[in-house]
Amino acid sequence: MKYSYIAPKKKSAFTQEIQLLLSFFSITLLMLLVTYAFLLYKNYTFVEDKKELSTKKIELEKSFLVMETEIAHIEKQKMLSETVYTKNTVLKDSIANLFDLVPLRITLSQAQLLKNGLILYGITPNKDIYNFMLQAPLRSIFHKTYSSFYPAKNGWYRFVSTNYIDEEEIAIDE
Amino acid sequence: MLGKILEALYNKVIVNIVLKRSSCDVYIELYSKTKIVDSSMKTFTTTTLTSEVLEFIASYTKESPYSYVAVLDISPDQGAIPTCTKNQLSLYKDLASYEYKCFNEKWVYFTLKNDLYETEKFYKEIGVDFIFSPFVVLYNFFEDKVKSHIALYILVQDSYISLSIFENSQLLYAEHLDMETSTDDEMLSQVMDDEDIDLGESSGIDLDDVDVIEDMEDLDDFGDIEDLDSLEEIDEFSDSQDIEEEFYEAAEPIIESNDEEFNEDYQRFSLIQTSLGHYYNSSDYESQFIENIYIADGVGVSSDLKRYLEEETFLNVYIRHLDIPMEICALAKEELEV
Repeated sequence: MKYSYIAPKKKSAFTQEIQLLLSFFSITLLMLLVTYAFLLYKNYTFVEDKKELSTKKIELEKSFLVMETEIAHIEKQKMLSETVYTKNTVLKDSIANLFDLVPLRITLSQAQLLKNGLILYGITPNKDIYNFMLQAPLRSIFHKTYSSFYPAKNGWYRFVSTNYIDEEEIAIDE
Repeated sequence: MLGKILEALYNKVIVNIVLKRSSCDVYIELYSKTKIVDSSMKTFTTTTLTSEVLEFIASYTKESPYSYVAVLDISPDQGAIPTCTKNQLSLYKDLASYEYKCFNEKWVYFTLKNDLYETEKFYKEIGVDFIFSPFVVLYNFFEDKVKSHIALYILVQDSYISLSIFENSQLLYAEHLDMETSTDDEMLSQVMDDEDIDLGESSGIDLDDVDVIEDMEDLDDFGDIEDLDSLEEIDEFSDSQDIEEEFYEAAEPIIESNDEEFNEDYQRFSLIQTSLGHYYNSSDYESQFIENIYIADGVGVSSDLKRYLEEETFLNVYIRHLDIPMEICALAKEELEV
């Protein structure tokens, strides 16, 4: 207001039409931005979920491997237990059979079960009873049988019977 | 910041309106940052803002929101005072109901507040941004002269005459005259007031008191009257003449007057003469001897006005044509710092 009596009215480029147009564009832009932000957020959550799932998948895969190993180990243990059980059963039967083999007149003092043999220590009234009643069935079971006698103080005989199964022959039989 | 950027993108439209007695001049300039893009001048035979005028203005203003409307103050009750000191203003006029502005801390121009409101009301449909005083227009138009010459500067409008006397940019006297309200009777009464016409006893001539011999001695002083023949050789007179302005004036076409114009020019001449007499006779103003009259002709005055003034006041008269809407536009541009 250098010369004029009045000050000029404030001018603005934002006329009513421009304001309407700008508000329309602003709302549209805002909506687009909101949609974009929503999509970004969704995308982010999807990516995060995907990462989490893939981590879970890897962990599960790892646990599968561990479990498979454990299963294999358990199966082995089971097989082993079955084997042991079977062996024990066989051993039990063998021991029962062994004791069934020993006649009443012969007394065993010690029996040693070997992998491929059996050593029996005991007392027999005489050698014949031993030879006929114990050695004969042992010979039918074992391939090699060796017997040795030591006279006891009461006139009876202490004996040591060593019996072996020939493994080569077992392999041939199988 | 955003506003400044947007403002730079748009052209500025300056609408300048000058209301005349029976017509209205509208001058529109479109301004880019550095140059005039377009300009248009149109005269409408109406004194109101008719739909035709509004349409013409709207055809330019709709192009840019940065459009400004500048008008010339046509209040009959306006003027200027040769001081800017507040406690001295009341010596010249009571400005309680006036709007006034100080110009360069040297002088004040004023107008009636109610007339300003009326002007704003008149232009309410397009809104007015600048209202300029004719004294500012006059000062700006004769800025080259005002700063160095002491002279009477006159802005001649269709219905108004704005007179001002400047000496080295300092206003000495100013008057705004309305040609429609200043009737011949008023002019006559002013003339009568100015001249000391005394019809009392002192005005009579008593022949007894006349001493012929003594008077004859006084007449000897007229012996030097022959010297008047050589007056043309005295350079003193030619010093006061403005050669530059005479060249400028010679290029202007001489307008011959018809009867109606003759009357108007005579009326103007009378008003100027009366006003000049008022200046010399008033004790309120600092009287200085004036040798030149510069007329800013906004209507196309005839050569008669110049002739009257030169013959009756013995002053050098220079008339320079003025396009008032363009001058207003120049002021508006200064305001907008374009």
